[in-house]
Amino acid sequence: MTKVLLQLKKVNKYYGNAHILKDISLDINDGEFITLLGPSGCGKTTILRCIAGLENIDSGEILLNGVSIKDLAPNKRNVNTVFQNYALFPHLNVYDNVAYGPRVQKSLDEKELRKRVAEVLELVQMSGYEKRMTHQLSGGQRQRVAIARALINEPDILLLDEPLGALDLKLRKYMQTELKHLQKQTKTSFVYVTHDQEEALNMSDRIVVINKGEIQQLGDPREIYNNPRNLFVADFIGDRNITRVEILEKNNNHFKLKLGSNIIDIKCFAAAAEDCEAGETAILAVHMDKVRIYCTETPNSLLGEVISIHYAGSQVRTEVKIDAEIVTVIEYQNSNCDYNVGDKVYLSWEESAAVLLPLEDDTEGSNV
Amino acid sequence: MFNLKKIKQNAPAVPILVWTGILVGIPLIYVVVLSFLSRDSLGNIVFEFTWENYKRIFDPVYLKVFYNSFLLAVLTGLITLLIGYPVAYFTANLEANRRSLAMGLIILPFWISSLLRVYGWIILLGNNGLINSLLLKFKIIDKPLTMMYNFGTVLVGTAYMLIPFMIVALYNSIDKLDRSLLEASYDLGASKWKTFFKITLPLTMPGIAGGFTLVFIPALGLFFISDLLGGGKNIFLGNLINAQIKGRNRPLAAAFSVGMIILVLLVLYIYTRITKNKKEGLFL
Repeated sequence: MTKVLLQLKKVNKYYGNAHILKDISLDINDGEFITLLGPSGCGKTTILRCIAGLENIDSGEILLNGVSIKDLAPNKRNVNTVFQNYALFPHLNVYDNVAYGPRVQKSLDEKELRKRVAEVLELVQMSGYEKRMTHQLSGGQRQRVAIARALINEPDILLLDEPLGALDLKLRKYMQTELKHLQKQTKTSFVYVTHDQEEALNMSDRIVVINKGEIQQLGDPREIYNNPRNLFVADFIGDRNITRVEILEKNNNHFKLKLGSNIIDIKCFAAAAEDCEAGETAILAVHMDKVRIYCTETPNSLLGEVISIHYAGSQVRTEVKIDAEIVTVIEYQNSNCDYNVGDKVYLSWEESAAVLLPLEDDTEGSNV
Repeated sequence: MFNLKKIKQNAPAVPILVWTGILVGIPLIYVVVLSFLSRDSLGNIVFEFTWENYKRIFDPVYLKVFYNSFLLAVLTGLITLLIGYPVAYFTANLEANRRSLAMGLIILPFWISSLLRVYGWIILLGNNGLINSLLLKFKIIDKPLTMMYNFGTVLVGTAYMLIPFMIVALYNSIDKLDRSLLEASYDLGASKWKTFFKITLPLTMPGIAGGFTLVFIPALGLFFISDLLGGGKNIFLGNLINAQIKGRNRPLAAAFSVGMIILVLLVLYIYTRITKNKKEGLFL
């Protein structure tokens, strides 16, 4: 029943000599909320601009409903954008801003237009603000007007370029829920660009993790969070301890690992772990909040020394030194034992919390 | 009572007020007072109040001069706008380093004496000038075209002289325009032309009004261009005032000047109405 709405096929984009997008292939389904997630400069906004037609692609193909749109001007594509700075027209009031699309396309007469504008303003809860000028609105209100202005054209796809970036934390949380709600209500595909993993995990049906112009992983939030396919994703999503380990034995999904002078057994069902072979050096990534600290030896645990403890409200961050590696542990309540800086402690974690990844040639930039 | 705090706050403005008072206020008062005085047969000022100078403005001959000058200034404004807008638009959209080069090239000719540049037009447009000789040589015409000494010649010369003011004013306005607004307009379905008329043009209106004002004011008073290019037949305000001063009728010259100031104020009033509530303009 899922229908593919937009297809990117091996899209490449250069700025001068810089290769911004490298063979980006991606299918976007009808009615889904898909997020392009990555650090700044990774090319996520460029993908959005290529879909909107604000940038030309150097090679590849973009199909909307199976029809190529790569050579169409932005005003000929049934795709609308909510810009990062909203880009509301400062010389027009809210009504005229929202009415801009249908007016330039001459798609509605004034009477229908009035009805449509009222509808979309109602949808974003901005009824009654028609006569306001945009500089009289707050950040959140501008955001809503920008969404209404884009939605009035009934686009096949709504593109959102870090739309919550300029809002304060509380409003941002609220607008996340609002946006998700709006997306369900309008049944429009949303392509959402952000560098904020929490936003992405919260709202998306699927997440595309992008780095250096390449898609690193595509999957639903749970998969991206729990089952990273490579080191970049493991490091970028969720707070993880990332350490080098030696694989001593491999038995299907069971591994015996050497970490410093400790030897532990883990189970790892992640697809990436299948590429790890005995005798190799690999990467072990464990979520910081899934590591437990014990004062007495427990089976299958690592011995280390507490080197610092930070109390940060509801959570406690403890740094433990295991031979040459430093592991950070986030605990929400310290129930297992009391410890102080300098104490010897034992660390262990739930079996599913650890991910084993093959060592990549390109490990620069990560903290391994 | 004196408000000491307020005096302190306004203290930095004092030198400016003194400066403009001496250099602008006093001469202006002098001109206004002069315009109400009479003169004797030798042209000396007589301290005797009269409306006579202002009545003479309404002499049809002089009214025609006012009309000519006003028309010249308005047309100069329009021509410089039509030519200047594409130039400014193009320049503002160049890469940063090319932009300063382009602006430099636009301003460069204006380091040469303006008198020389007006003579340049005579060399170009005269009966034995470059254009006529070329046309004659290639037998496109068989007697020289008369391109000199008419209203059009003066208009061309004035527009040429003042166009940098228009370009600079427009350039500043276009440069400030947020490019994402144009992208938003395309994105919402507007063509390039529609975007220009619905977004670019309204948002650069302060630049247009500013450029027009900067061109209009000097165009009203320049007299050497019409002297050189207009011949004797085309009299403009600047020529008229100049002639009255030479003819030792300074009160009448003062009255014409006041009339000119009123025309300028009219344009400035329209300008402030257009740029009202906008966060840019010449006087902000």
